[in-house]
Amino acid sequence: MKSNNGKWLATLVLAFFAGLTQAIAQAPAVVAPPAAVNAAPAPAAVVAPTAAVNVASEPANPAAQPAVLAAPVLLPGSTAKPGWNVPQPWDKVQSVPQYASVPGHEANVLEQDQGQWWRTMRNGPVTFYGGIILLVMPTILLIFFAIKGPFRLHDKPTGRLIERFNSAERMVHWTLAFSFIALALTGLTILFGKHVLMPVIGASSFAFLTTIGKNVHNFVGPLFTFSLVVFFILYVKDNIFQSRDLVWLAKLGGLMSGHHVPSGRFNAGEKIWFWLSIVMLGIAVSTSGVIMLFPNWNATRELMTDANLVHAILSTLFIAASLGHIYIGTIGTEGALQGMKTGSVDETWAREHHALWLEEVQSGRRAGAAMGAAQPAAGDD
Amino acid sequence: MARMKFICDAERCIECNGCSTACKNEHEVPWGVNRRRLVTVNDGKPGERSISVACMHCSDAPCMAVCPVDCFYKTDEGVVLHDKDLCIGCGYCFYACPFGAPQFPQAGAFGLRGKMDKCTFCAGGPEDNNTAEEFKKYGRNRLAEGKLPICAEMCSTKALLAGDGEVIKSIYQQRVQRRGKGEEVWGWAMAYERGDKKMSATAQVKS
Repeated sequence: MKSNNGKWLATLVLAFFAGLTQAIAQAPAVVAPPAAVNAAPAPAAVVAPTAAVNVASEPANPAAQPAVLAAPVLLPGSTAKPGWNVPQPWDKVQSVPQYASVPGHEANVLEQDQGQWWRTMRNGPVTFYGGIILLVMPTILLIFFAIKGPFRLHDKPTGRLIERFNSAERMVHWTLAFSFIALALTGLTILFGKHVLMPVIGASSFAFLTTIGKNVHNFVGPLFTFSLVVFFILYVKDNIFQSRDLVWLAKLGGLMSGHHVPSGRFNAGEKIWFWLSIVMLGIAVSTSGVIMLFPNWNATRELMTDANLVHAILSTLFIAASLGHIYIGTIGTEGALQGMKTGSVDETWAREHHALWLEEVQSGRRAGAAMGAAQPAAGDD
Repeated sequence: MARMKFICDAERCIECNGCSTACKNEHEVPWGVNRRRLVTVNDGKPGERSISVACMHCSDAPCMAVCPVDCFYKTDEGVVLHDKDLCIGCGYCFYACPFGAPQFPQAGAFGLRGKMDKCTFCAGGPEDNNTAEEFKKYGRNRLAEGKLPICAEMCSTKALLAGDGEVIKSIYQQRVQRRGKGEEVWGWAMAYERGDKKMSATAQVKS
């Protein structure tokens, strides 16, 4: 294309063909002159003068010719506007659904940009800050445990047991708990595994483990959601906020003074855990999970990436909060695990932690929760 | 070393679907998966153009970045490939890809998708070249035979160009100079500019 002679010739030839194409595209309009109707090679016959006009109108000096051809001159009477066949810029059309002959969901979208945003968020802040939260939370709990130790009972156990959780309540709690742990471990593997576990055990072992993990996650997820609903039904009655919860909150449950503030069956802290985590995070994490769980429902990629972000962020918070719950329910509070394990707590424990609930049970105002027979307290105390 | 890329010339593509058909036949692509597909913008209206889309083998590939098990790898020629033995079928590459390239043979309840399948630039997978095992999982390895991708090789209007990015870009530039339109190469900004600004055909042709 550097040679000027060649350029002139090429321009001439191309102008002819450009005009020819234009004429063929406009054939019905072109045919209008009666003389052309009978001519067998109608388009060519009509086009020849067009091309000549096109070329003749250009400057005589070939060196001044631009390398890029000008748009062909339209025929007289043409209704076409200049540039009618110029495509829109790609960024205007490529993310809008168009026509695709190949079947497939969203096959008619040329490009989507949402995925890139999702990638930036997931690989960036969600992984980074999520990782920090999940490291900071157990650190705080360990420091707290090292300094203050567990909440111990002040008085000796009486040996009289009081039923705190019936078998249905315990069963749904542990279903929820173990499904949560399974989901947390497998979910964390999907987000953090390639940074933490894969360098240690190698790519193929890690992929094998994650394949199992992904399927565990996908099949245990619905079980978690189901037990969440049953849990809500069984536990909501005693988790409704009452005015005395404000007193408990104001004194932080006696964390500073060391004296428990009297509370009902569940104290304000437990109620906050119930409503904020079990109910709100539970619903959000379940909903976003279900969106990703059924690719056969043909959700858009945009919806699935949004669901993934919601799922990852809230699950991280859920896991961090659950660490607090697990701490308080096991090593953090003497006698708390026994209640959920065996269903019964000692009278002393009940008086020190849930005095108002004990009053209700002892006065017979609470149906279903019977006093246990006097017997030695189970376990090590 | 060549850096393999695709160009689809929208001024030439006639939406014959030959590329996607040839691809399916060459690789015996799983049922329901189309490694290459045709999209027609402004269908039936002035300014109608068609584009043949497949994996663009991005410089900074989003699929690679989000894969939880790192099953993707990039060859010396810039081709993005994946290992189906490692793939867990989570669908994240499909979320992330701008071009809709990663697809799954299944879309079942409980996230059962099967192993991801996508365009390999006719370069197979991690198995030994042109073994039966490689063919079964990824299709034919034409690059190992010294051939270019079948879709571009058989394109009847030569709209689809595959090969070294510099070579196909210069072909495209010549076409643009001759015809005076269509200077914007579809997909290159998304696929190559984010990772490597120098490789932009758009910027080169427009300047």
